[in-house]
Amino acid sequence: MSRRYGPILIGLAAVALTGAVGSVLLWLGGFDPLAAGAALIRGSVGSGRVFFSITLVRSVPLILTGLAVALAFRAGVWNIGAEGQLYVGAIAATWVGLSWAGLPPVVLIPLVLSSSVLAGAAWALLPAVMRSRFGVGEVITTILMNFVGIHFAAWMVHGPMQESRGVFPQSDAIGEAARLPALVPGSRLHLGFGIALVLAGALAWMLRHTAVGFRLRATGTAPEAARIAGRIDTHRTVLLAFLVSGGIAGLAGGVDVSGVTFALYENLSPGWGYTAIAVALLAGLHPWAVVLTGVFFGALQAGAGAMQRDAGIPAAWVGVVEALVILAVLGLDRVRRDREARR
Amino acid sequence: MTDPRVRLHGIHKRYGRVVALDDARLDVRAGEVHGVLGANGAGKSTLLSILGGMIRADAGGIEIDGRPVDLRSPKDAWANGVALVHQHFALVPALTAIENLALGRGTAASVRPAAVAVMERTGLTVPLDAMVSELSVGDRQRIEILKALLREPSVLVLDEPTAVLTPQEVERLFDLVRELASAGTSVVLVAHKLDEVLAISDRVTVLRNGRTVRTDDAASVASDDLVEAMVGSNEAIPISAPSPPDRTGNEPVLSVQGASLTVDGVTRLHEVSLDAWPGEVVGIAGVEGNGQRELAHLLVGLAHPSAGTVRAPTDVGFVPQDRIHEGLIGDFDVAENIALVLHRTDAFRLGSRVRWRDVGAEANRIIDAYGIVASSAKSPVAALSGGNQQRVVIGRETAVARELFVAENPTRGLDVSAAAFVRAQLIDMAESGVAVVVLSTDLDEIIELSTRIMVLSRGRLASVAPSERSREGIGALMLGGESA
Amino acid sequence: MSYVELIVFLEAAVRLGTPLALAALGETVTERSGVINIGLEGSIIAGALGGALGALAFESAGLGVASGALAGVAIAAVFAAFAIGLGVDQIITGTAVSIGGLGLTGAMYQARFGTTGAELSLPTLRSWGVPGLEQLPLIGSPLFDQAPTAYLAYALAPVLWWYLFRTRHGLSLRAVGESPDAARAAGVSVRLTRFGATVFGGLLAGIAGAHLALAHAGTFAEGMSAGRGFIAIAVVVLGRWNPLLVLAAALFFGAASAFQFFLQALGLDLPYQIILMVPYVLTLAALAGWVGRSRAPAALALNWDGDRG
Repeated sequence: MSRRYGPILIGLAAVALTGAVGSVLLWLGGFDPLAAGAALIRGSVGSGRVFFSITLVRSVPLILTGLAVALAFRAGVWNIGAEGQLYVGAIAATWVGLSWAGLPPVVLIPLVLSSSVLAGAAWALLPAVMRSRFGVGEVITTILMNFVGIHFAAWMVHGPMQESRGVFPQSDAIGEAARLPALVPGSRLHLGFGIALVLAGALAWMLRHTAVGFRLRATGTAPEAARIAGRIDTHRTVLLAFLVSGGIAGLAGGVDVSGVTFALYENLSPGWGYTAIAVALLAGLHPWAVVLTGVFFGALQAGAGAMQRDAGIPAAWVGVVEALVILAVLGLDRVRRDREARR
Repeated sequence: MTDPRVRLHGIHKRYGRVVALDDARLDVRAGEVHGVLGANGAGKSTLLSILGGMIRADAGGIEIDGRPVDLRSPKDAWANGVALVHQHFALVPALTAIENLALGRGTAASVRPAAVAVMERTGLTVPLDAMVSELSVGDRQRIEILKALLREPSVLVLDEPTAVLTPQEVERLFDLVRELASAGTSVVLVAHKLDEVLAISDRVTVLRNGRTVRTDDAASVASDDLVEAMVGSNEAIPISAPSPPDRTGNEPVLSVQGASLTVDGVTRLHEVSLDAWPGEVVGIAGVEGNGQRELAHLLVGLAHPSAGTVRAPTDVGFVPQDRIHEGLIGDFDVAENIALVLHRTDAFRLGSRVRWRDVGAEANRIIDAYGIVASSAKSPVAALSGGNQQRVVIGRETAVARELFVAENPTRGLDVSAAAFVRAQLIDMAESGVAVVVLSTDLDEIIELSTRIMVLSRGRLASVAPSERSREGIGALMLGGESA
Repeated sequence: MSYVELIVFLEAAVRLGTPLALAALGETVTERSGVINIGLEGSIIAGALGGALGALAFESAGLGVASGALAGVAIAAVFAAFAIGLGVDQIITGTAVSIGGLGLTGAMYQARFGTTGAELSLPTLRSWGVPGLEQLPLIGSPLFDQAPTAYLAYALAPVLWWYLFRTRHGLSLRAVGESPDAARAAGVSVRLTRFGATVFGGLLAGIAGAHLALAHAGTFAEGMSAGRGFIAIAVVVLGRWNPLLVLAAALFFGAASAFQFFLQALGLDLPYQIILMVPYVLTLAALAGWVGRSRAPAALALNWDGDRG
């Protein structure tokens, strides 16, 4: 019972604890926590329009990068590089979308999305090789790759891929044929949400039922035992998890370009690749739960705008909430483990 | 009668559900060598760690020279003249010998004169400026003892000091212990080898299941009585090694020819040759760190020779030495741990899928067949006792290994009955026609189990002639002697 | 390239390398004790805001640096409370602390100065020429006409080297980072040592942040730490956990960041964004090439549960 429902209880408790601590901090800062809460709810789930067109739309990149992080962490790969992988995915998607604009949507959309997957995986390849070949930890290298990726995108929109007018640092818009269709008619919610759901299901099934999923879990939980008792090629497993994780993060960039922005921008992502860590952890690294926590953080980001407008609370506050959620999950999980050990 | 120098009484200690000590007592006189005996898991190390200030007792008292003391940390123990030499974990491999000696006391420069003085006085010499990671097990133990002696203790506590030494090195250590005792130091010594303890001790104390059962003068007590006190009524069933199998017309299932293994530029195995036939137990004795791990990994296919050849079946059963980190995944349940082996075989796969239903059925069969005490195949393996964990390992390995089985220190850390079960399983397996290779640092285990004995020393493998099949003969080879 | 241009390049290299050197030297001590503090970024940005607010409140750049140091310590203490006190995962805790530090400083800054960020006019940390040394040819003014925080970095490198490798306390700290069980057996308090080393790292990161605000930019801007906390961690690896090499590695990274001045001097016109990528790419290359399998402290990032049982 506790093994199965423990993560859910911890998730709920962490959200409650974050609400409590966050309210106290807001109050100390001279803000009205109740007004903040009301604005947050209004701005995220206050109406069908905000829920479908803002909250769920914002949750898509969070679910995708959250899945990328969850998969990597499951395999013992500290991929902190989802942010950079997302950017190169967005670059690749934009480039393919603009280059083959004449193709019909059924061909172009899959092409755009797979190019973003490949680009994200390629971006993860270097840290993966540096870990296995040179023994350099991936925490540092993936973070460095984030900066390279972000500057790379900035260069693209200032240089080779800048819009033909040459005014703003952004690319030309991709054509209709490269854009994801709407999922809920009349809303801005696009097919990307469906893709995220299918992917979550596929990953959950893979981890639970397949040999490769089992090898991945074993490698992430106890690499020595996986290698020695399971005769698992842990290097290969780690490489695979790294590349798939990078690919999913790249897909998040491709989906954002073809579903929301339709063009490449500087600062395309407000740090989704980092928020993804909170999304994945709050979900206990379970793919299905990532969908829920992704929507939760999507609601938080949607509500942040309303909080700033209606209650004057700076939008940067979201970062504090994310940090509180992560710390609460870590702390509560530790307390639970200690109590189980003592029993 | 004189007051004891150290008195521990009514000591209780539990870890979660496990009671480690339950009314343990120990009293040690000035200038005596006091042996502490007990089966694995009897609580010897825990009791001594409490005396060394490493662990705090839940209840009970400690008196030193008649005064009650509260030993909250190793520092408190040192302040009261007690120095503990640990069995594990007490040296920093990435520091030099002298830095290890200086740790917690001063700097390498400030401690060096004292260290040199103690080395000269005791004859324990170690290369002070060498990195500990590069030193032999014997050198490391000498550093441990020097570390304790630098504190000029009135009570020196040695926890399993002989486990990693050759018989000859044990002799040298015992000479030093006698010298220290005659100079007035009390020495408390733990070992699970009865004869060793009796040879050196003035008095012995026996622990069983965390409780002190008796204390005797070593000179007058009968060793049979001590054995009974150690294991209780639950007598170990004597077993005998399988007899040499008929090799005529048979091919060996394992054939290693002139295999060498070099890891990070260091040659761990030198031109090792080894054959194993169905039905025999090949025992490979040796002091830890002489290439056992590398040889075992070579046999099961986890490592590949840098030179020479290894011919072995595809699925080799393997009991790794470190159950917790290499053999099992504590957070996984019993069925998943069994799947570590089964997921490799087609019988439990459907394309890329694992047939979890069949894995579960097999897990239940293994649980029944090996008498594993677990609430279900779904309980995490970390919740099982050491003996039951080892049964899970042996059960699942036997499910796939039809020809060759390799075990590395298979009974380490198990209690007497669990160890006997494991040994009986290995012999059963050999008698059913499997070739079994056992690598162990426990000489008695090797002698008890093996059809044929070999010794691994500094990466070289030598055969032991039947005439040399004794502790002394094998010990000479373990020191690196020539093969007969 | 002219002599003057070379001087400009070197001066920029040292100026850009100083905050990295400070943060990386602190992190070297932290990591030597077995703790990797990815939350360094949070300490740096807190140091920047703390430095700015302190300088404003006390009308003194010196007291600004002190406030920045305190802010860095506060953030590091949050990290330490979770990662060392509770013993939860260091990397995830550090990431959370970085995200939280960036969010908190941003929110505080917006709450106080508005979303547009009214121009702050701060008392700045001026450079002090070292008499005599300043006049040395070539390296004189780049090295010895800098903010006092740069001299702090120069001085700390040998002092920390001496501390780590020649003192009793430094020996204990290294033992804790290599083998906490052995250190505990020798009577060293693992948690206390790690806590102290982490807070020290936060202190220097806070000073690095204050340097950014008071000596470098002369103002505070949201996210002005710009990933320096993460780069400092790479610099520690690059410097092989040796304070002297870490100082050199920080100056190397500073030089890579100052590359634009070099390229401009050569008359090359690379896009600005590519120049911004250079330091990261060079660091990655250096990590792959030079670090090889050089050893990190054996217990780095591993939590220690030794005295819980």
